[in-house]
Amino acid sequence: MNSFALETDKVSFAYPDGFVALKEIVFRVKRGEFVAMLASNGSGKTTLIKVLAGLLVPQSGSVKVDGQPLREYSQAALYQRLGLVFQNPNDQLFGATVAEDVAFGPRNLGLPEQEVQCRVAEALLAVGAEELAARAIHHLSFGQQKRVAIAGVLAMKPAILILDEPTAGLDPAGEHSMLRLLGSLNREQGITIVLATHSVDTLPLFADRIYLLNRGRVLKEGPSEEVFRDHELIESASLRLPYVSRLLHELKRFHGVPIEGLPLTLGEAREQLLKLIPDEVILPVIKEGGL
Amino acid sequence: MKQKQLVYIYLLFMAFALPSTAQAMHISEGVLPPQWAALWFIVAFPFVAWGLRDLRIKSQRDPAFKLMVGLVGSAVFVISCMPIPVPTAGTCSHPCGTGMAAILIGPTLTVVVSSIALLLQALFLSHGGLTTLGGNILSMGIVGAFTGWAVFRITRKLGLPVWSAAFLCGVVSDWATYATTSFELASALHGTSSFLKMFAAIGASFMPTQIPLGIFEGVITAGIYQFIMPRRPEVVECLGVEKPQPVIESNKAEAVV
Amino acid sequence: MSLLSEIFSDLFARQDNVLTRVDPRTKLIVALGALCAMIFSRTPLFPLAVLALCLVATIAVGVPKRLVVLRLAAPLGIASVLLLLQSVMAGTTPLWTLVILGAKITITREGFSGGLLLASRVLGGMSVMLLLSSVTPAHRIFHAMRALGAPEGWVEIAMLMYRYTFVLLDLTAEVVSAQKVRLGYAGMQRGLCSAGLLGGTVILRAMDQAVATNEAMRVRGYNGKIPLGPMPALARCDAWILGGSGVVLAGLFFGTEVLCR
Repeated sequence: MNSFALETDKVSFAYPDGFVALKEIVFRVKRGEFVAMLASNGSGKTTLIKVLAGLLVPQSGSVKVDGQPLREYSQAALYQRLGLVFQNPNDQLFGATVAEDVAFGPRNLGLPEQEVQCRVAEALLAVGAEELAARAIHHLSFGQQKRVAIAGVLAMKPAILILDEPTAGLDPAGEHSMLRLLGSLNREQGITIVLATHSVDTLPLFADRIYLLNRGRVLKEGPSEEVFRDHELIESASLRLPYVSRLLHELKRFHGVPIEGLPLTLGEAREQLLKLIPDEVILPVIKEGGL
Repeated sequence: MKQKQLVYIYLLFMAFALPSTAQAMHISEGVLPPQWAALWFIVAFPFVAWGLRDLRIKSQRDPAFKLMVGLVGSAVFVISCMPIPVPTAGTCSHPCGTGMAAILIGPTLTVVVSSIALLLQALFLSHGGLTTLGGNILSMGIVGAFTGWAVFRITRKLGLPVWSAAFLCGVVSDWATYATTSFELASALHGTSSFLKMFAAIGASFMPTQIPLGIFEGVITAGIYQFIMPRRPEVVECLGVEKPQPVIESNKAEAVV
Repeated sequence: MSLLSEIFSDLFARQDNVLTRVDPRTKLIVALGALCAMIFSRTPLFPLAVLALCLVATIAVGVPKRLVVLRLAAPLGIASVLLLLQSVMAGTTPLWTLVILGAKITITREGFSGGLLLASRVLGGMSVMLLLSSVTPAHRIFHAMRALGAPEGWVEIAMLMYRYTFVLLDLTAEVVSAQKVRLGYAGMQRGLCSAGLLGGTVILRAMDQAVATNEAMRVRGYNGKIPLGPMPALARCDAWILGGSGVVLAGLFFGTEVLCR
């Protein structure tokens, strides 16, 4: 038994109209990892996600979940291991009220009603939406809908959670709290998290590893520092560095500011800059201000 | 003298009926006496049961079918809420969409979908009613769907272009619905006077709005069909318009998403 | 369209009050009982009494008067048409004779009272449905119907339709505005063309939504059946409410019958 929660071996997928969406993708996620697929629009993220979740069957290559080939799973067994949250919450939320919708999965598993209610309450608590239980789906805001959609999948108690663009369409605060939520699910409940995104700014804070995808291929794979180090590759994939890294990178490249490595997050960048700024330039007021 | 009186009655009726043409197709709660209400329920029931049987069989073969019926149902419901300006009446009216639905999901399932739409309209929009639900299912669901569907099929068999088939489907389903509604109203309301006189009065007062409205419905049905056909041929096929076998493969539909 | 969304949205049914707390099955049975009694009634007094009761209750649970008027405007129009139509077309005993522009129009006694009865039934019936829908969200009504024996497939489709109507209404509103800002509704011909495009877009979106929702449901274990949660057992107070409203309705029904004889 290996330690991979998800593993694909040279998976290729073409749509019936001939469009090749995935070319020999090798994608591995260890148990308990937080992995991001970083890719621009139309580069095969959603297709790969659907292949991982067994919704699309690849023409070649194999997909394994917990070391076992996907096709050997029954539907019920597979979807208790692996949960999938869609990009558009409307796709997923078809129940009339929040509680009804979250109860859909557990009821499909044939659990007794008491257990169903228990799971609904737990799942809503986990995403911080417990006060929404009796609300109608059509009265929720977009951010609330996204949270409820995640709760609906968490109620299945999956060990692996795959999310397609969980932060798309959210405001900055919503984006941050969504990633924090996923981070805490990952650390506290040990859920393996795989997410697809193209928001580069917040990602390095949370993801253990990044897969860089472009036009159906894996361009690069590794910890975020490693992936972002190759800026030209990032740009060729129609993405960019986080703004703060780009600023420091340009300072270094065009102005010769001696910056070590490539800071990716705000915190790292601040540390680096503080090292370079002479103490006498810094006003004492600001220093007292809690830096 | 009698003639003249009828003309006045007609004008009077028009003046009051026109502002509420949107409701003209629906028989309002309380209008049908018990025996008629019960009769229409009895007539409508087997058709709804037939539709539900189809639903069960088809969704056993493919669970996605149920979703397709529900979603096309709510799309048609939303379309039936779209206001269309009626030039003769100077007001807005609404298409029924049953012809369109019958092309897309078949007449039996259209009956199911329109029974739900009619219930929602009665409860939440004050159009139609609960005791009159049977009568409304008959006129809007059953007659509208089956005539529209039959006309579409026959015109296609005759080799006429698709847009004309869709147009005729819309026109015929709309007019057939309105004729049935008039029939139901007249038979329930004529009291001691003659049924034909009542039928003529009701029919005549709906005519100025329903004739253009039926044509509009036809144009819109054709427009919708022309819009969907080239973009989603396989879905329309799946729904059994061009080929009888309804198999919805998610991969297949995915290709064009 | 936004107005429609507002009326259609069950905002008031989701508030917490005495009537929303009653089991939906009980409310449904009482409402159906009232509607049936109404079409059996032979005097307009019974429907009018029900109308008064329902209106008072609807206002009392906090539905804005504007909305009540809006919901009852169309039925009021229908009621007046029915009254006029019956007055002039049915019966033989003349009550009043009006001369309008040289034509004699006779309003008959039988016709007038028959019209009054029909008009009162329309308004009474509409007020019952208004009250029911103001204190019971749509999904609870469907749930209750399932519990009372409505077919499973019908209830499932009803729930799906109701839920996605809101999604599609939003879409329609967006497409209409997008068409309007590009002059899609200037003139009738262009208007009809835009309406066709709009309808097509709505249906296509609905089809895509069906495919996407089906996938999302499969991932959560869907296999062709949408499970409904159980309904709680009817409480003792439901029996009291049922019995009480039965007695009130029967009392009103027979009381008004006797009164009119």
